[in-house]
Amino acid sequence: MTSMEKVAKAPKVKEGVDQETVDAVQSVGEKYKYGFETDIEMDFAPKGLNEDIVRLISKKNEEPEWMLEWRLQAFARWQQMEEPDWAMVNYPEIDFQDIYYYARPKSMEEKPKSLDDVDPKLLATYEKLGIPLKEQMILAGVEGADQTPADGRIEGQAEGRKVAVDAVFDSVSVGTTFKEELARAGVIFCSISEAIREHPDLVRKYLGSVVPQSDNYYATLNSAVFSDGSFVYIPPGVRCPMELSTYFRINAENTGQFERTLIIADKGSYVSYLEGCTAPKRDTAQLHAAVVELVIMEDAEIKYSTVQNWFPGDEEGKGGIYNFVTKRADCRGDRAKVMWTQVETGSAVTWKYPSCILRGDDSQGEFYSIAITNNMQQADTGTKMIHLGKNTRSRIVSKGISAGRAQNTYRGLVSMHPRAKNSRNYTQCDSLLIGDKCGAHTVPYIEVRNNSSRVEHEATTSKVDDEQLFYCRSRGMNEEEALALIVNGFAKEVLQALPMEFAMEAQSLVAISLEGSVG
Amino acid sequence: MLEIKDLHVKLADEDKEILKGLSLRVPSGEVHAIMGPNGSGKSTMSYVLSGKDGYEVTSGSATLDGADLLEMEPEERAAAGLFLAFQYPVEIPGVGNMTFLRTAVNSQRKLRGEEELSAAEFLKLVRTRAKSLKIDADMLKRPVNVGFSGGEKKRNEILQMAMLEPKMCILDETDSGLDVDAMKLVAEGVNALRDGKRSFLVITHYQRLLDHIKPDVVHIMADGRIIKTGGPELALEVEHNGYADLLAEVA
Amino acid sequence: MRRAQALAAKREAAAERLSRGDLPKGGAWITAARENALERLHQMGLPARRDEYWRFTRPEALIAAQAAPVPLMIDEDAPQFGELDRLKLVFVDGVLNVAQSDALAMENVEITTLEQAATQDIHWARDLFGVLESRGQAPVERPLAALNTATATQGLLIRVTGKAPRPISLTYLRADDAGDAVVHHVIRLEKGAELTLLESGPAAARLSKVIEVDVADGASFDHIRTQGRDHGRRALTHLFARIGAEASFKSFSLTVNGALTRNEYVITLEGDDSHATVSGAVAGDGNDGAFHQDDTVFITHAGERCESRQVFKKVLRNGATGVFQGKILVRQSAQKTDGYQISQALLLDEDSQFLAKPELEIYADDVACSHGATVGAIDEDALFYMVSRGVPRRQAQDMLVLAFLSEALDEIDNEAIRDDIQTRLELWVERHSA
Repeated sequence: MTSMEKVAKAPKVKEGVDQETVDAVQSVGEKYKYGFETDIEMDFAPKGLNEDIVRLISKKNEEPEWMLEWRLQAFARWQQMEEPDWAMVNYPEIDFQDIYYYARPKSMEEKPKSLDDVDPKLLATYEKLGIPLKEQMILAGVEGADQTPADGRIEGQAEGRKVAVDAVFDSVSVGTTFKEELARAGVIFCSISEAIREHPDLVRKYLGSVVPQSDNYYATLNSAVFSDGSFVYIPPGVRCPMELSTYFRINAENTGQFERTLIIADKGSYVSYLEGCTAPKRDTAQLHAAVVELVIMEDAEIKYSTVQNWFPGDEEGKGGIYNFVTKRADCRGDRAKVMWTQVETGSAVTWKYPSCILRGDDSQGEFYSIAITNNMQQADTGTKMIHLGKNTRSRIVSKGISAGRAQNTYRGLVSMHPRAKNSRNYTQCDSLLIGDKCGAHTVPYIEVRNNSSRVEHEATTSKVDDEQLFYCRSRGMNEEEALALIVNGFAKEVLQALPMEFAMEAQSLVAISLEGSVG
Repeated sequence: MLEIKDLHVKLADEDKEILKGLSLRVPSGEVHAIMGPNGSGKSTMSYVLSGKDGYEVTSGSATLDGADLLEMEPEERAAAGLFLAFQYPVEIPGVGNMTFLRTAVNSQRKLRGEEELSAAEFLKLVRTRAKSLKIDADMLKRPVNVGFSGGEKKRNEILQMAMLEPKMCILDETDSGLDVDAMKLVAEGVNALRDGKRSFLVITHYQRLLDHIKPDVVHIMADGRIIKTGGPELALEVEHNGYADLLAEVA
Repeated sequence: MRRAQALAAKREAAAERLSRGDLPKGGAWITAARENALERLHQMGLPARRDEYWRFTRPEALIAAQAAPVPLMIDEDAPQFGELDRLKLVFVDGVLNVAQSDALAMENVEITTLEQAATQDIHWARDLFGVLESRGQAPVERPLAALNTATATQGLLIRVTGKAPRPISLTYLRADDAGDAVVHHVIRLEKGAELTLLESGPAAARLSKVIEVDVADGASFDHIRTQGRDHGRRALTHLFARIGAEASFKSFSLTVNGALTRNEYVITLEGDDSHATVSGAVAGDGNDGAFHQDDTVFITHAGERCESRQVFKKVLRNGATGVFQGKILVRQSAQKTDGYQISQALLLDEDSQFLAKPELEIYADDVACSHGATVGAIDEDALFYMVSRGVPRRQAQDMLVLAFLSEALDEIDNEAIRDDIQTRLELWVERHSA
């Protein structure tokens, strides 16, 4: 069962996630079920990267001059920069001239006027991924009432639930659902290329204001060559009437995906945003270097949830996605709130630190993460909590699970600036090792520059408890079922932070990702 | 019927024999008790039967209705109808009690090639069974055994037993750490499961549990073997005189 | 490109700082050791501000060719460890002062000076001098330790063959405002040997000290030091230890005052079933000129079933800076490792800061490793409780400060030594009471 079908069929259950573990373990079949490829005619820009490619991307997106200038500036900077080498990840050198920076389905040359005009093959691809782009199909969601997990399944009351989706296929957005309904609430939800054309003032004001052009090697590269992504603006006082979601799909071979997401939550507004991603199985590694910027004004709140399920490469470490992502939230106003939740199960290499700048007084940042690495996967992920305002609060809960020959690193920074009086941070990082060939590492930085703030950091590393495994098995579960159950328990705090349908998806992913790690 | 024949077991890591020719038969529908001094091998027996790592069977056999238990994985033994109520039930943080139970029930049914219980059936069943053990909804929602009192943990074991409906139940010092009221509750739970077909092997130090769960047969175990078998009166004898006389008798 | 340029600049600085002609003269074994160290130094280059390992502490003052002069301070406190029965050896400005020292002799212990051994062509210390330092250069480079190996002419070579009857105490006095002390000790504990080493005193305006300790199977090494009170002094110390099987290693440091102190520990648990503890108590007041104290610990578990502990507590006030970089590396071979690490700072005012990087790097699965770090102000509830019971606020705060530090002092096994350290700490608290 795929994610959106689950939204449609499975009721929302309060405690989460319980029945789904069972479903998940039972449905374990294919190892990477999103590994199929869509045979579709594509337009490619020539391989390699130079100023002309940057100009071409800008032209294909029909961008104004200022945008092109911005890109060229980034490109010039990028050429002066070096790839970072501090993360605990190893991969062959990337030949940046051997990558396609722009790939677009031919059918998208003439921009479809509405979803009805979108190439059926594309729609079918998303269908297969469980992301129906026809609005009427999304309306059937069911939400459970206030009941125990088991109760919810049987007695849960049906309630309509909608999620608006922006689907990005290789370099372009193929469609965004529910735009009209969102527009009625004043919410702008569209592809970033459309936003550059239709809402230039907003984009100009905020693009690069959270993650500056020259922030880091990959962010600068992204600034030069990003082709598409999502744009969200929530006007003051508006509670976004539905969850927003972007679904990223890399399909074409040797193609880098460089998407750019910009979300602005104006004063007193609220939005919950979901992000999912998959790619076909391929022998050669592919690059994904995204930038996500969140701007949160006074009293506004953004919840950003990711289930990252890029192709992780095969058991021998062949292929897979190199995932180098810069995500940052800027709590610009007082009492602004942001919550990052991520479930990282895919990618051959993950390099990702969703961060919070707590600038406004009383602002809050939270980071909940599950990172699972199996086989030859490598993940170096964590967060930065930069406390600048008074009475700011942050919380970090990181659960790393390492199996096979994988390496899993938590890297994080908690920084209390001198003027961030009376601020608090609590960090809990737990690592679980499955098997004796993998590694689990913790690299926290703690910088406290005032004394009215309090920082607490705890970290543990241990292996899966044999007593727990035996207890489960003596009650009839096989080793993989028992392991999936225990690992889901280990990660429960994070799973609970996810929106319901994502929690379900995540739970199944935990089980699938760990397949083959015991026995 | 559980049948153990001349079972010899040593620790896997060291050269220490713990069971030294244990033989025991528990026919269907009977309740047998095993008593014995500390270190006589009672808990080892329950772990070996349920398939815990760390022990090595050097000779002998153990079968349940003729099927060789020792060849099976722990989960296969469970599906075959063996249930061990742990002396120290394990805590599993983050895993809801209800989830755990449902996973266990359906895993076993699947292994036996039976239909899985629907959510409705499961829920109905668990509510009824939980109620009779005075296990409230809250306890079902909490993580498995985490933060449970000693009594709650043992009641939870009995609830699992009631849900999994095994043929052969081994209760490893289920009375330890319980006050009289809690013990009565547990005993009632066990008695409710006696149906003339299901067998029980009750491991205990004290006669008092046997006041509530009346055994058909009592075995005395010492130094890895059964040294004496008798009726309920044997438990009373131990209660009054201790093990010294019995041990002397054998020696 | 930029990384290559940075390395080239560091190497250039190293070449400028020390060339072959500057090496002290000596016998064959030490000449070889010094030349190897010079080679290492030239390869690595001098530390630079952008180096990850120097993220929290600026290396400039430690690298400069000349030490900045620091006025002598008259320390009126009772001499450290003065009451203890010990073999007392005194260094003045980094040079062993025979007149003030006991004879270099004790049962089960052989002591020679580096100066004397360096004139010989061969010496037992050849197997260790610069050797443990050299092994400790990976995965993290410590160029200033190599600089010490290349240039040190002072130090002791101590071989312990059984249980040492008394602790050896090294007192480092200062007689000159200016100047460097470069000291390099090598200690070898043979199988089953036992030694307690005490160190105290400021040593010099700037001290560079390397200790290499080899703890053989079944041996036990206990190290307790206090670092001198002189406000302006700077010190960089390295402690390299290799630990065999069923052995024990403990090191405790007390730092009160000093403009800059960085203590690096590089400890490898090579054998099975061994134990290592490093701990420290720090009390720093920025008003005494400046205060920056850095404990940088790297513990490697290679043997099975070993236990390691890191316990660091720091009280900081008036712009003082405390740094803790601690790492537990568990190799794949090191099953059943128990690793524990705690670093805590108490900031007594708005201007002080604590910077920490507590790391775990784990490649074995059957382990239990944990670390914790907390930073905060004094517990106002506890303070209020004490005041409401009639304890004056100032005194209550002092009591809480001492209570906070006591967890680190508890790592000292010897009661007499612990009391001696406690006294020194109480004096600091009294002097710096708000």
